[in-house]
Amino acid sequence: MGRKHTASIALLLPLLASTSNAASDPPRPRGVGPEFAKFYKNPDTFMCISNPNITVPIANVNDDYCDCPDGSDEPGTAACSYISPLSPPRPSSGKPGAVNETLALPGFYCKNKGHIPSYIPFTNVNDGVCDYELCCDGSDEYEGVGGVKCEDQCAKIGKEWRKQDEARQKSLNAARQRRKDLIAEAARLRKEVEDRIQTLKTQIQGQTLKVESLEKSLVEIERAERGKVVKGAGKGGKITVLSSLAKSRIEELTENVGRLRSERDSVKARVDELEAMLKRFKEEYNPNFNDEGVKRAVHAWEDYAAQDRSGPNEALDRDLDEILSPDSESAIKWEEFETTEESDVEVLYKFEEYLPTPVRDWVDSKLRDLRVALIENGILADPTSDSTTESKAVTDARSQLDSAKRELDNDKSELTRHQEDLDKDYGPDSIFRALKDICVEKDSGEYTYEHCFLSRTTQKPKKGGGHTGMGNFVHITSITVDEELPADGKGLGSGERIALKYENGQHCWNGPNRSTLVVLACAEKDEIWKIVEEEKCVYRMEVGTPAVCGVDVQKVVEGHDEL
Amino acid sequence: MVKHENFKTCDQSGFCKRNRQFADDVSASSSYTSPYAVVPASITFKKGQLDAVVLKAVKEGGEKVPLPLTITFLESGVVRVTLDEEKRAKGQIELRHDSKARKERYNEAGKWALVGGLNPAEGAALAETTDAGYTKVIYGKGGSHQAIIRHAPFSIDFQREGETQVKFNERGFLNVEHWRPKVEKPVEEKKEGEEEAKVEEKEEEKGKDESTWWDETFGGNTDSKPRGPEAVALDISFPGYEHVFGIPEHATRLSLKTTRGGDNAYSEPYRLYNADVFEYEMDSPMTLYGAIPFMQAHRKGSTVGVFWLNAAETWIDVVKTKNTANPLALGLKGHTDTQTHWMSESGLLDVFVFLGPTPQDLTRQYSELTGYTAMPQSFAIAYHQCRWNYVTDEDVKDVDRRFDKFNIPYDVIWLDIEYTHEKKYFTWDPLTFVNPDKMQKQLAKRERKLVAIIDPHIKNTDNYPVIDELKKKGLAVKNKDGDQYEGWCWPGSSMWIDCFNPAAIDWWKGLFKYDKFKGTAPNTFIWNDMNEPSVFNGPETTMPKDNLHHGNWEHRDVHNINGMTFHNATYQAIAERKKGEFRRPFVLTRAFYSGSQRSAAMWTGDNLAEWAHLEASIPMVLNQGISGFPFAGADVGGFFGNPSKELLTRWYQAGIYYPFFRGHAHIDTRRREPYIPGSPYTEIITQALRLRYQLLPAWYTAFHEASTTGAPIIRPNFYIHPEDENGFAVDDQLYIGSTGLLAKPVTKEGADSVSIYIADSHPYYDYFDYTTYSGAGHHTVPAPLDKIPLLMQGGHIVPRRDRPRRSSGLMKYDPFTLVVVLDKDGNASGSLYLDDGETFEYQQGAFIHRRFDFDAKREILTSANLDTSSPSSKTQKYVKSMEKVRVEKIIIVGAPKEWKGKDHVVVMEEGRKESKRRQEATLEYHGAEGKKAAWVVVRNPKVGIGKGWRVDFGDKGVGHEHHGHEH
Repeated sequence: MGRKHTASIALLLPLLASTSNAASDPPRPRGVGPEFAKFYKNPDTFMCISNPNITVPIANVNDDYCDCPDGSDEPGTAACSYISPLSPPRPSSGKPGAVNETLALPGFYCKNKGHIPSYIPFTNVNDGVCDYELCCDGSDEYEGVGGVKCEDQCAKIGKEWRKQDEARQKSLNAARQRRKDLIAEAARLRKEVEDRIQTLKTQIQGQTLKVESLEKSLVEIERAERGKVVKGAGKGGKITVLSSLAKSRIEELTENVGRLRSERDSVKARVDELEAMLKRFKEEYNPNFNDEGVKRAVHAWEDYAAQDRSGPNEALDRDLDEILSPDSESAIKWEEFETTEESDVEVLYKFEEYLPTPVRDWVDSKLRDLRVALIENGILADPTSDSTTESKAVTDARSQLDSAKRELDNDKSELTRHQEDLDKDYGPDSIFRALKDICVEKDSGEYTYEHCFLSRTTQKPKKGGGHTGMGNFVHITSITVDEELPADGKGLGSGERIALKYENGQHCWNGPNRSTLVVLACAEKDEIWKIVEEEKCVYRMEVGTPAVCGVDVQKVVEGHDEL
Repeated sequence: MVKHENFKTCDQSGFCKRNRQFADDVSASSSYTSPYAVVPASITFKKGQLDAVVLKAVKEGGEKVPLPLTITFLESGVVRVTLDEEKRAKGQIELRHDSKARKERYNEAGKWALVGGLNPAEGAALAETTDAGYTKVIYGKGGSHQAIIRHAPFSIDFQREGETQVKFNERGFLNVEHWRPKVEKPVEEKKEGEEEAKVEEKEEEKGKDESTWWDETFGGNTDSKPRGPEAVALDISFPGYEHVFGIPEHATRLSLKTTRGGDNAYSEPYRLYNADVFEYEMDSPMTLYGAIPFMQAHRKGSTVGVFWLNAAETWIDVVKTKNTANPLALGLKGHTDTQTHWMSESGLLDVFVFLGPTPQDLTRQYSELTGYTAMPQSFAIAYHQCRWNYVTDEDVKDVDRRFDKFNIPYDVIWLDIEYTHEKKYFTWDPLTFVNPDKMQKQLAKRERKLVAIIDPHIKNTDNYPVIDELKKKGLAVKNKDGDQYEGWCWPGSSMWIDCFNPAAIDWWKGLFKYDKFKGTAPNTFIWNDMNEPSVFNGPETTMPKDNLHHGNWEHRDVHNINGMTFHNATYQAIAERKKGEFRRPFVLTRAFYSGSQRSAAMWTGDNLAEWAHLEASIPMVLNQGISGFPFAGADVGGFFGNPSKELLTRWYQAGIYYPFFRGHAHIDTRRREPYIPGSPYTEIITQALRLRYQLLPAWYTAFHEASTTGAPIIRPNFYIHPEDENGFAVDDQLYIGSTGLLAKPVTKEGADSVSIYIADSHPYYDYFDYTTYSGAGHHTVPAPLDKIPLLMQGGHIVPRRDRPRRSSGLMKYDPFTLVVVLDKDGNASGSLYLDDGETFEYQQGAFIHRRFDFDAKREILTSANLDTSSPSSKTQKYVKSMEKVRVEKIIIVGAPKEWKGKDHVVVMEEGRKESKRRQEATLEYHGAEGKKAAWVVVRNPKVGIGKGWRVDFGDKGVGHEHHGHEH
């Protein structure tokens, strides 16, 4: 499969004019990078780089017509730019598989003297746009199509770049330093946990011993008390027991009423918020959507809103405050009862004495029979055994034991938690241990967004109103990104990046529960760069943090060079 | 799902119910005579215009209602028939409810819809001899047409070459509801009457069900109808025509189904009443966003049509009657007649009749009347990327960067309503669009544009100068009491600009000046949505019919034109943003009417991300094309819902054939820009996009043709092959302009092939690999996901630009590839139109218009100038600016075997020095392989695109030493 020559001197002239005039190197055709120079040395013919069996006359190089199926004869024009899997298919010029139809060159080589050389895609050559981002010397627009003139701006751009690069390097160094500090901090925090574990372990040992001894002492006290009971009812009367029971019961109730009240208050706050939301919903919903569900909801809200609902009675509430206060006038003075020495239980048992005689006799005989039967059957306590009451000593011992057990349990669960925490993924060098619960914010559009490391993401409307949870931390993951790095270096660049996944945030109307992927890239400070709602209620935050600087430092630094 | 309950059926629309009932009664009665008669003595004929009085006999008391009749015979061969009502025209009627509305039947539809072609034909003449009771007018080219007017009952037959093509009032459905005062009938009075009288009374009442005469209530809105019943209706028959097309916009097939019984028929008439139909359904005669009351009937060898110029709510019944062949009458085939029944709520009866005989005649004559498609800027026919919404200026810039990053071309990015500050048009949200100028600059760098939405509803709120001015100047639409009408739309409480008012248009123009609408730039263009108008709390999601417009015309009279007045105003505003800036505006509209093509592009509104919607988009866009408004498209991907990656990919592969090509998505959907779906979808979509860009020169040429001849940009089979009866109903494949490119988009899930219908005996070649398909009938063409079924009809030359660029603006100076596709005789021809793609200088000659011919006998390819006018300075300037733009490649598909071994051609170009006149260019021959046709490539002939030149393939002078070369 050869190509024929129709060599003409006229065709050669523009080529010669366009070739590089660098002093020392033999001239390379326009657009050829130094690494490809060797392919363009033959003065007569050109061998297509990926298809060495195809040769074309040297005049065909850079004549703005694509001869090589791999485009290598046009390093300095856009003639072969259509060679791409993104272009519409075209009939193969040779037997299928026999030719390599992939572009052999990475692009048009811009020397960018005074800055960094770079390749620009062939599609951008002579299209009338000065692509200074890649080609600061403007050499991509040598034809001046449509009158475009791209002056060489490499001096300026290069200088600016070096300045920024320096700043970037500086910032990067600072970031690295901060990362070291963070690692130290994380290590310290880890050490703290480890120390705590150690402490806990010791504590648990001690506590276990304490529990054992308390158990023992309880048994002893009980035995002692039982002896007492056998000898006769002690001074600790039934009223005392009752009062202690009633006290604990009332305390329990008070506590619960208090809790219920605060729960009620928070529920009320939620209802208020919901009502406000529904009110807005009603005002702002779009009747044009004709969504039956929405319409029903609006009507239901209107009905609901129309009902006259009385708010909480403040007077009653004040009463409740009074009742709940332990210092209030009406509060029971428990001490007065707890110290009562006489037992009223016996009195209760002798209630027959208060009845008229005939009745008493009848009742007495019946009751006696019943009581005997009950006692015999173990249903009723034997009045002499007094086993239904516990002496204060036993109660105290038992409560001591209980609290010791509780402490032990607490310590054990804390230990487990800390041990689990040690196993938990805190990222490379456990660095996120140092950042956990540290929050950063950024204004974007109508909202302020907040990211609390390893905790949650939140959206706060600037106009006021409730905050919206955008997800709670789930795990650390990673993601491949490929983005241009802005000049200030505040961007993801390209490569693999650590990402934090936050899920199960507030539910979205007509959508899923909100979730956020926080993608991290190296920066001197912890800061949110950008928030994007990638799809409905699925957010992506780009966050800078020194925490990830060590991880992939090479890639991040090289992010500037696109090609 | 569409909410049927929000929109009227014929039965719920008083005049439609009355007229359908009337038609049924007339059809049921054997003795019925249409009560309309021309007064013979009143007939005058002068300068192509016939005037007369038609009297309508009204039963009671022999009263006769005079209806002035005008029949104008136009130079183009079109006839206009207008019937008015004298009493209303003279204002001799009384309106109820102290209405301020005008008393006349609305007579200004033509003022908005018509722009030309109204010159009466000097040659039209009354026939010398006519049967008694008839008046005959001979007109048309060479007197080939005649209109035969029967006096009593009044009817008209339109004949071509002695054969009746169109008939008015054949079935006696003509009905002009004359004005009458409302008689308050005492309800109980008849109790005492005699039995006989009662029966009579009943009979009388049967015909006069007054329940819909004086007011009508629908969906909680009551129409006060101050003029009472005032409908106009007429039956129009097309004898011998089986197919009727047109009357967009409906989600239905190209060949219209019948509406009153028969197989697979609709039960409702086609309705034209511009409305914001939420989640519209497929295969339905239901009304949609726009209305073009232009219908054409087609049979082998003939196309005729009617244009019903009326802007009020209109319903059209279609029935077909099959006449089976008489077995005794040898040689006579059975045929089908199509009969239609047109009903409008108010206004004049005003109909244009076209007698063809070709589809091209129809589109040309219709466009002559209503205007040609505006020549768009070249970016407007490239790819548009839209979404409700790109949420910030940074978001826009990010999408813009991503297209470049993925090497996907696009030209325009769009902003839906969320860019505004609280839905106040002409403002930017200060929090999300902080720096629109910077955003525009980034776009402009790659020749890209921004389209921002501006709707006709103006937020009724404080601290908003636009509403303050609107109110102060009194430029809003008014309610029936004459106060400014207040309704509900996106911003909440709103008022609507009344663009029927010239003062409102002037004011509107002022709002778009760069210093007034801050943040816009020369590369900002406008999208007009919701201009039906959409009113969320109005009847049928639009305005009450008794609202009043400028001149006190009722909204009822002008409804279907309303949207057009608005986008026309926007067009004028964009054209005049800055003194001395003469660039072609771009406006997209959702509502439209006949004439909208002069100033806007349209899209088919809020479709769904479903295969059925993709499928329906093809006939819908084709129908727009033959109805004079070809700059049309559907939302690629489907507006509501999330398309599967396959559907999205197929939709792009189909969308590249929409003249207006835009991807769009609802705010609740996931992002779906072409770079989103990933491999292999993104690559396949990019190929499709690049195919559209590669063919932009062909598309631009097709737009030019549309803008000068009215021809559709994408064309249905019948339009290209009017003689091929088997292909009349084919509406799932299309031709691009005159290029011979035949595409059949895949619209079925999981398909890996399509069946393409070929109408003629020319060879058709696969666009990508030159596989040959020959012979009339259906051919199976492979269509796996990465293959677009696209054929090239033999006989055409297709201009392309093969270098992929980031936007169409960056292709301006790229060289051309010409693909010469030989027909069965080895010939081919084609054309190319080219201008600056931006300004109006083409109107002063700044364009290149070439015709390319390949002559099989002489084996030469030539480029000739199609511009016959003498070149102006603008022409020269433009041609000079394109001087360096050349043809870089010529591909000949279906090349003759004899060329094997040929290795060069001889190229000659005008203006070259004698010594350099004869140049050689390399030719590369590729032999046929299996079904794949032989093709040759001419390497870099270096001929100017704006020059005259000749490429000689028959030269035998040199290069013979290469004979027997292996390929």
